Amino acid sequence: MSTSIRQAVLLTILALILAALSNTVLPNRIPYVGEWPSLAGSDSVIVPPSAEEGDPPFISLDEAAALSQSSNVIFLDARDPEDYIYGRIAGALNLPFEMLDDYWDSVTLQMPKDKQYIAYCSGDECETSLLLGREMVYQGYEKVYVFFGGWREWERAGLPVERGE
Amino acid sequence: MNSIMKSGSRFVHNDYLALVLRIFLGVIFVYAPLDKIMEPSQFARIIYNYHLLPSELINLMAILLPWVELVCGVVLILGVQKKGSLLLLNFMLTVFMVAIGINLIRNVDLECGCFSVSSKSKSHALGLLLRDVGMLAIGIYLMINRSTRFDLFKSRS
Repeated sequence: MSTSIRQAVLLTILALILAALSNTVLPNRIPYVGEWPSLAGSDSVIVPPSAEEGDPPFISLDEAAALSQSSNVIFLDARDPEDYIYGRIAGALNLPFEMLDDYWDSVTLQMPKDKQYIAYCSGDECETSLLLGREMVYQGYEKVYVFFGGWREWERAGLPVERGE
Repeated sequence: MNSIMKSGSRFVHNDYLALVLRIFLGVIFVYAPLDKIMEPSQFARIIYNYHLLPSELINLMAILLPWVELVCGVVLILGVQKKGSLLLLNFMLTVFMVAIGINLIRNVDLECGCFSVSSKSKSHALGLLLRDVGMLAIGIYLMINRSTRFDLFKSRS
C-alpha cells in the first residue's frame, strides 16, 4: 500500500509540472484562480427572437465568463462610447455599432483574425451585439460569439469590469 | 472445491486479461483529457456547473485534473508505476461518481465533461454513473491482479 501512495504522489507531482507547463505554453491558457458568477441559472442562453440561421453562436453568462479567462478571447463592446467609458467587461474593445465606419479601421488593428471574439451590448433589449457579430462574420472573422445577456448580466454577476477611458 | 479456487485464482491473476484491461482503461484515460487540455476555460466552466467546488479552486482543477488523467493513463499502458496510477485512477473514478451522483440527486441536467468540453454533449447521469462503475470494477480488478509479466519495468515489491 505504501508503494501505491508513494507512486501516486510521484505521478501527481509529474502531472502538476506538466499542467503548469501546458498552461504556460498553450494559447488557451487560463489564470490559476478565476472569476465565476455567483448567480444560479447563469448557464441559460438568451437568444433574441430576431436570431436567424447562420448567426454566430449565442453564449450564456457562464460561457462568457469561461471564455473571458482564456488569453485567446477578446470582448467587443457594441455600445456607444459613453456607455463603454461608464463601465465595460474588463479588457473589452469598443466597437460602437452605430458609428462602425468611424471606428472599424483603427480598432480592427488590434483584432487578429485568429483570436476569438465575443460581441455584447447592454442586455436583451439591444440588438447591436448581434448586428456587430454578423458584421464580424461577414468581414471574415471565424470565431465570433454573441453574449446577449450583455453588460447588465455581467455586472450583476459581479464579474470583472473596467471603467474610464 | 480446490479446482474452483484454482480456476478463480487463474482468473484473478491471468496475465493476458490483465494486459487487455490495462490497455483498455489506459487508452480511455489518455483519450479523455485531450479535449480538456486544449480548452481549459471550457472545462473550467463545466466544473463550475457541477456546483461542488469553491470558485477559487475551479481553474486549478481544470488545469491539473486532465494531466493527472493523462499521466495515469500513459503509465498504466506502459506498466510503470502501475500501483500508484491505479490508486489515483480508482480514486478519481470514485470522486467522479460522487460528483455525478450528487447532481443526479439534485436532478440537474449535467454536462459531463468526461470526454469532451462541447456543450452539446449533455448526457444522462445514470448512464454516466454506470459507465464509471464499470471502469472502477476494471480498476479494482487490476489492483488485485498481481501480473507483472507485461510491465515495462518490473516493480520489486
